[in-house]
Amino acid sequence: MGRRKLQRRDKDAKTNGQDSAEEMARHTGTFGSKLLPTVLYMVAACSAIPITDLLDRASQRSDQLHSLSTTLTQDLDSHLPLTVRLTLPRPSVCHTASLQTPNDKEQALQVPESDLLSLARSLLQAWEDPLVFLSTSANFLPHPAQNAISNKIQELRDHSKSLGDGLNILSGKMGPGARTISMLPYTGGNDVGQDTISQLINLNFLLSCFRRDSHKIDSFLKILRCRATGLPQMC
Amino acid sequence: MGVGARPGVTNSPRMRRGFGVALLFLLLLLSAESNSTSPPGKPVLLGCRSPDKETFTCWWEPGTDGGLPTTHRLHYERERLEGTHECPDYRSAGRNSCFFDKEHTSIWVDYFLTVTACNALGNASSEPYKMDVMEIVKPDALDNVTLLVEKSDDSPLLHIRWEPPSNTDIKSGWVTVKYELRVRQDTGNKWAEYTSGTQTHFSLYSIVPGSVYTVQVRCRLDHGSWSEWSNSTCVEIPNYHHKEAGFWLMVSILSAIPFITAVSILVVKRKSVKQWVLPPVPGPKIRDIDAQLLNRGGSEAVDNVLLVMHSFHSIRACKEPMEEYLIVTENDEDPPSSLQKRNKSFLILAGFNLDHEKLYSEDTTESQRERETDDERTAETDRSAVDGAVEPFTNSSYVDVQRHVEAAQARDEEPVDYSKLKEVNGEHLLISKTENVSLGSSGYVAVKLQGHLEEDYSRVQEVDGDNVVTLQTQTAAVDALGRAKGNHYAVCPLQKTGKAIMCADLVQSGYVDTTRFVHI
Repeated sequence: MGRRKLQRRDKDAKTNGQDSAEEMARHTGTFGSKLLPTVLYMVAACSAIPITDLLDRASQRSDQLHSLSTTLTQDLDSHLPLTVRLTLPRPSVCHTASLQTPNDKEQALQVPESDLLSLARSLLQAWEDPLVFLSTSANFLPHPAQNAISNKIQELRDHSKSLGDGLNILSGKMGPGARTISMLPYTGGNDVGQDTISQLINLNFLLSCFRRDSHKIDSFLKILRCRATGLPQMC
Repeated sequence: MGVGARPGVTNSPRMRRGFGVALLFLLLLLSAESNSTSPPGKPVLLGCRSPDKETFTCWWEPGTDGGLPTTHRLHYERERLEGTHECPDYRSAGRNSCFFDKEHTSIWVDYFLTVTACNALGNASSEPYKMDVMEIVKPDALDNVTLLVEKSDDSPLLHIRWEPPSNTDIKSGWVTVKYELRVRQDTGNKWAEYTSGTQTHFSLYSIVPGSVYTVQVRCRLDHGSWSEWSNSTCVEIPNYHHKEAGFWLMVSILSAIPFITAVSILVVKRKSVKQWVLPPVPGPKIRDIDAQLLNRGGSEAVDNVLLVMHSFHSIRACKEPMEEYLIVTENDEDPPSSLQKRNKSFLILAGFNLDHEKLYSEDTTESQRERETDDERTAETDRSAVDGAVEPFTNSSYVDVQRHVEAAQARDEEPVDYSKLKEVNGEHLLISKTENVSLGSSGYVAVKLQGHLEEDYSRVQEVDGDNVVTLQTQTAAVDALGRAKGNHYAVCPLQKTGKAIMCADLVQSGYVDTTRFVHI
């Protein structure tokens, strides 16, 4: 599955669009003949949306994503004892740590726009699988607010998916650099831990990694939005 | 073995013990004199804060200093950075703090901080503190909140403006600031909270003039912690109603003056107003009859009137069975029909022109005929009575007797009685008994009252024996057209005993003329 994704992502954005159109045509079945022209029309219409508008929507979506992840980590943290929380060494580094991202404002402002978008897309794509793992393990979470957490993780997945789709469309408009994605496979495995504390610790760690990455995506997109539009209200 | 002990050589245990005790004693003395010193206590890292996502500051709480001058040092390790580093700036943020400037601040990496306290006697290190700049973002409180009251037609508005936090970089999009404000009306502890998003202004509608509003604003960067509330800014909404009230007061006063004058005029002239608004109900009126004229004039007047009355032939009003008159002729020409109609001989003459007309039209031919005869008793006399002249009475001194309906029920078959009018003396009608009178029962005499026709009835003034009854009319006013209560007739049933009884009124609210019958 990873390979397939790799190949797909290496293609042009146009083929991406065609693929999605073909997929849609397949899905619609008997209506395909009628729907295909309308779908193509819609795709064409989508590309007619100005880039500032697309960026605005994308940053709003990423803002929601980051907000969700923040509340989720706070919910999970509240159940951990304070001492454990503060002094806990990281079990390991986040699986996305290998990606070189700017770490302060000056560095971030020097990155070209297409690279910023590429970084955002890479990060987002890297969390596709771990979120699946999170949602399955959240069903057995020994936590009082387990139901709410499970719902929020599902929401995270939905938001992440739609943001990814939007960024894919954006990437077609921002130059060749935007279309490259670095692969960051998730190597954490499917083992959450045996006892409650270790389960909570592992999940907490995973969510904090996600929170960090969602903040990166949000910041990059907001810089992009400010730079692309040049309007003060967009900054 | 000589017991000789050499001086200075102490190798007995007792001596050693004594020496130890003395040393201990000395140490105790020394420690009692000076303060106790010890290695420093363990410091505690309180927390860190970044106001702008570009720099941050950490604070710690020192432990006991152990009585000796103690220094505190902060060391940190950082993700993606090798080695242990020391705090770059101990001073900028005050005592027991460490300030990390832009070069030393990185975001999205973990810092591991440790504070160590040293004094002459030892060290003490705090627990390691893990943090990421992303988690500690909290902006400074806002300080420049301005309030502006805008006067609008319907209600005033309150415009609130503020500046973004001074040390944040919004222009590049590095941070996104969101604002929240809360407003309190007058005193009390109920705050209304509003979200302003990324705008630096806010408008409050529906504010109450005369109240004092207190406003506070706070902000946060990205999804970090909220800042502290800004200092309260107050404003009092001026009361615009003063001006308006003055204006309306003037208007109301000016419009009240004519109103008051109109009311006073109405009060003064209330009688005429009442007349105009509620005109008096006109009394009964006989058309073309001028009572005065008839009173004064001679036969010409009567003729004129009669001519006029002729013109009413065609008008045949609704047949009121009440107006059937008993016509008795000498020849008994048509008694049966008349007799049959007797039971409805209720007579109300005055006030109904119709009555008179019908009366007139119905019986005109007969009455003309019967007029000649002296002994004839016709309705004509009644008619002539209707005419209102005194003279006709002198012509035929007979007054026909009408049957009163109320009495008619009992006395359906009473013969008609007549009485001769002896004299009319002004207001008084003197009736004398005639020879022919056969008073089988109570008969009735139609008596016309002249002159004052206002009253509804006239009183029997004097009964002179069995034969003579003097009627007195009360003063009756006559309208110009004789429209007055018309010919007043009063019905006065008399008993056979001949006592005069107070006439029963047929009065009906001034219209009625009462037909009076005096039994003689």
